[in-house]
Amino acid sequence: MSALLEVDDLHKHYRLRGRGWWGQRSVVRAVDGVTLRLERGEALGLVGESGCGKSTLARTLLGLETPDGGSIRFEGRSIDEVEPRWLQRRVQMVFQDPYTTLPPHMSIRRIIAEPLIIHGLAKGDELQRRVDALIADVGLPAAVADRRPRQLSGGQRQRVGIARALALEPSLLIADEAVSALDVSVQAQILNLLRELQERLGLALLFVSHDIGVVTHVSQRIAVMYLGKVVETGPALDVYADPLHPYTRVLMDSVPDPTRRGRDRMRARGDPPDPKDPPSGCAFHPRCPIAVDRCRDEVPLLEDWRPEQHAACHLALEPLDGADTNEVDRSAT
Amino acid sequence: MSGGIVSDRTAASEAAGGDGVGLLQQLRQRKAGLVGLSGIAVLLIVAVAAPWLAPHDPASQDLGNVLLPPVWAGGELTYPFGTDAIGRDVLSRLIYGARSSVLISVCAMLLGGTLGVLTGLASGFYGRLVDTVLMRLGDIQLALPFILIAIVILGMMRDRSPIHLILVLGIPAWIVYARVVRSRVLSEREQAYVSAARSLGASNLRQMFRYVLPPASKVVPPIALIDLSHLVIMESTLSFLGFGLTSPSISWGQILADGRQNMIASPWLPVLPGLAIMLTVLTINLAVEGLRDDGTPRRRRRRSDRKAADADRAAAPARLPGREVSIDGGAGGDRDGDGDPRASADDVQGRDGDGDGDLGVRRNGGGGGQAQPLLAVEDLEVEFDTPTGVVEAVRGVSFTVERGRILGIVGESGSGKSVTSFAIMGLLGEQGHVTGGSITFDGTDLTRAPEAVMRGIRGPRIGMMFQNPVGSLNPVLTVGYQIVETLRVNRGMDRATARQVAEEAFGTVGFPDPRHVMRQYPFRLSGGQNQRVMIAMTMALGPDLLLADEPTTALDVTTQAEVIDQLLQVREEHGTGIVLISHDIGLIGEVADEVVVMYAGQVCERGPTETVLNDPGHPYTRALLGAVPQPGAPEAQLAAIPGELPSAQQPLVGCPFADRCDHVMEVCSRRDPALLPLAEDHDVACYLHHEPAAPEQVATR
Repeated sequence: MSALLEVDDLHKHYRLRGRGWWGQRSVVRAVDGVTLRLERGEALGLVGESGCGKSTLARTLLGLETPDGGSIRFEGRSIDEVEPRWLQRRVQMVFQDPYTTLPPHMSIRRIIAEPLIIHGLAKGDELQRRVDALIADVGLPAAVADRRPRQLSGGQRQRVGIARALALEPSLLIADEAVSALDVSVQAQILNLLRELQERLGLALLFVSHDIGVVTHVSQRIAVMYLGKVVETGPALDVYADPLHPYTRVLMDSVPDPTRRGRDRMRARGDPPDPKDPPSGCAFHPRCPIAVDRCRDEVPLLEDWRPEQHAACHLALEPLDGADTNEVDRSAT
Repeated sequence: MSGGIVSDRTAASEAAGGDGVGLLQQLRQRKAGLVGLSGIAVLLIVAVAAPWLAPHDPASQDLGNVLLPPVWAGGELTYPFGTDAIGRDVLSRLIYGARSSVLISVCAMLLGGTLGVLTGLASGFYGRLVDTVLMRLGDIQLALPFILIAIVILGMMRDRSPIHLILVLGIPAWIVYARVVRSRVLSEREQAYVSAARSLGASNLRQMFRYVLPPASKVVPPIALIDLSHLVIMESTLSFLGFGLTSPSISWGQILADGRQNMIASPWLPVLPGLAIMLTVLTINLAVEGLRDDGTPRRRRRRSDRKAADADRAAAPARLPGREVSIDGGAGGDRDGDGDPRASADDVQGRDGDGDGDLGVRRNGGGGGQAQPLLAVEDLEVEFDTPTGVVEAVRGVSFTVERGRILGIVGESGSGKSVTSFAIMGLLGEQGHVTGGSITFDGTDLTRAPEAVMRGIRGPRIGMMFQNPVGSLNPVLTVGYQIVETLRVNRGMDRATARQVAEEAFGTVGFPDPRHVMRQYPFRLSGGQNQRVMIAMTMALGPDLLLADEPTTALDVTTQAEVIDQLLQVREEHGTGIVLISHDIGLIGEVADEVVVMYAGQVCERGPTETVLNDPGHPYTRALLGAVPQPGAPEAQLAAIPGELPSAQQPLVGCPFADRCDHVMEVCSRRDPALLPLAEDHDVACYLHHEPAAPEQVATR
């Protein structure tokens, strides 16, 4: 049986025109050759900073963007060949900002009922019953049904967003920064809810976030993206315990942690690069604390360094404390 | 990542625009709108009910009584407004005239409005070719002389029925609506909830009519009314010129034209229909006024939005008032019902605040031999006026900051942490007031300092960083110009020196090419770069105290780490005291020397960071720490705090955390615990550690 979702060498580019009539055209490779695989019921965390292409990837999977290359197969069927409705029934999304993704003029009941009405799955009493069940499923009090979004708190709104996504009983739920607009205590509630739903409903979850702490908490596997490419992927615990890519390490070390107080951290140098003009070779090399000459010239490929743990780095097995060994040793490994 | 600001706004409008409250009040305030809307209603009733209201048949001629004067000029009651040249009753004619004038105008408005809304919707929603074609058509139409074309078309007809007039008047009006609706649709279409609907599989039509149109159509009513007043005049003009309804139908313009012939003998004949037209237009304009200025709930909310935005700018967390309405009620209830314990708690806290301040001086300032802390906030209370009443955003907060120390204030939205910092800066805005306590900065009580003094302190002596650095910088000036000007004004430097200092500052915050960056406008720089510009400005000014309110919340983690490193460096090099406000207890834990944990406008725990984080005394602090995902143990459930912050609707008595606390005791819901020492320098406001709680009273929920 094929995997639930197979993404193979996916590309999504945006063409921008510079200023003026003769402005130079440039291409942003928002998603630049991403390959992913997601099994049924599995939670995959996609982590990276803003502009790394993780949200574009999510939108492409959802059918909101048309890919420029590569293929997406869902339940073994290419998404080019299936009806949009077929895909919508199976892939749903929880959006980042619960304040703007709920239509302000609709009641909560209506918002959650919309997908069922659109897909003609229920009407009348059956519709109301299913909406009530969904409201209960995501832990909302029944009384919210007749309120408007602005009468709800951020956490409650995000629960509404989840209920709306679950209405179609999808097999894959994409959560794009679904908790980053929430307070910590509420964020924890939503994370717990997502995990619980994932286990109870056998949902596959693609959890997209900039916060590697949050991602590793909910995911069995994670994929780290930098400038449109996956630079490391593997089981969440393994990656967290021993990252292969220096960028993964930088991300981990950037998360504030009181217990790390005073200890040295690995930091990225300078600012993220301009996506219109990506660096040569390894895109991370200008910021990489351990980069060598080879990184500037040669694009590293995603390779199998450990069982199930892949990284796109020439120095993947180097100890990540800035040791300065030469390049020959590395290629020998 | 920009969600924070949006959410602030939304929550602010939510806070300020309480449902249905004050609608009547608003209408009373907008008498003009009320008068206008009732006027229109009266006109419509008159128009529809003309056959029953008119005392005579408007066409019947009483040749024995021609050109009778109205009653006030000595006429008879049979013909209150007199008769015209062929003995027809003027009042009846005016009433029937209203029928054609008003009804035709209203129908034309509905026709034009519908057409315009639909075309505007299609144009804005589909864009591209549809948009180009529709909008160019509109441009062409606007370039044509409408009244002349109307005359030509109507002149070709022998019989002109109301439907003809409605079509001729109504159709050309579409473009006015289409343009406005289109621009609203353009912005509405980009809203996140529309793309959410798309991902649910909503068809284009559904997206347009169910998602985009309802919010976008809110602009239509005022435009429709303005259009209506135009149409009334236009219809009268056409009738006056003889291109209106053909006989026997009448309209005001026709009556006016007829009356003109006997103007010298019977001046009321043209004056009365003229007056009717004028009053109608005036009434409609009054109604427009009412719609513009909060006559409807939507407008009202918009206004509070603007208020909130102002407050946002001046005192960012305008959402606090709304969330904390409950606190207001709670505190009030506490004072009324349970006055004594509350008062004593306050006393204890006050004294304690003093004690802690002294300790702080001894502890931290000992080496420098300073007599007083850099900043001492004591028992600070801040209230906000909101449409729904007074809200206590900060209720008795005390802390001190020493030179070269970092005080972290941690709490969730609605905890009052940002309001505290705005109170320190004297930037609470119109609605906010410090109602109690003091803020002593280097010997000056800022709560009593006049604005002139505050201006000298804000910036040069107390710097401030916000979550949104772009909002704190002027978008039309280069960042270099802004920093140089700031230095010239506040430090009295000449331009060359200021530039040199600025360049140095830009270099220290990690810009490899300071000159290049200084020539940039804020929007050309990334969020992290702008935040570093703010730090550079702060460093160049060299304030004694820096208030950093969620300075890294909008930034990526790697950039956040860099900004925090810069902040620490500022502290090292300049000995600046820093108040770091954040919802992220991890961040606070990593950099702060002391930490204050706030909940619902109160301090629930404070002390040295390591003590508080390693050995938290307050259940809320413990819960906050437990809620941070620990990547090392992904299988464990997060210790989420059940529920949400105290709701704005129900009054709050006792400990504000009681409802969400898993150690809640009977006493917690009755009394508000005072902030009392748990260990040296470590204070906790919780009955688990203090009287009157006894350990065996602990109840689990």
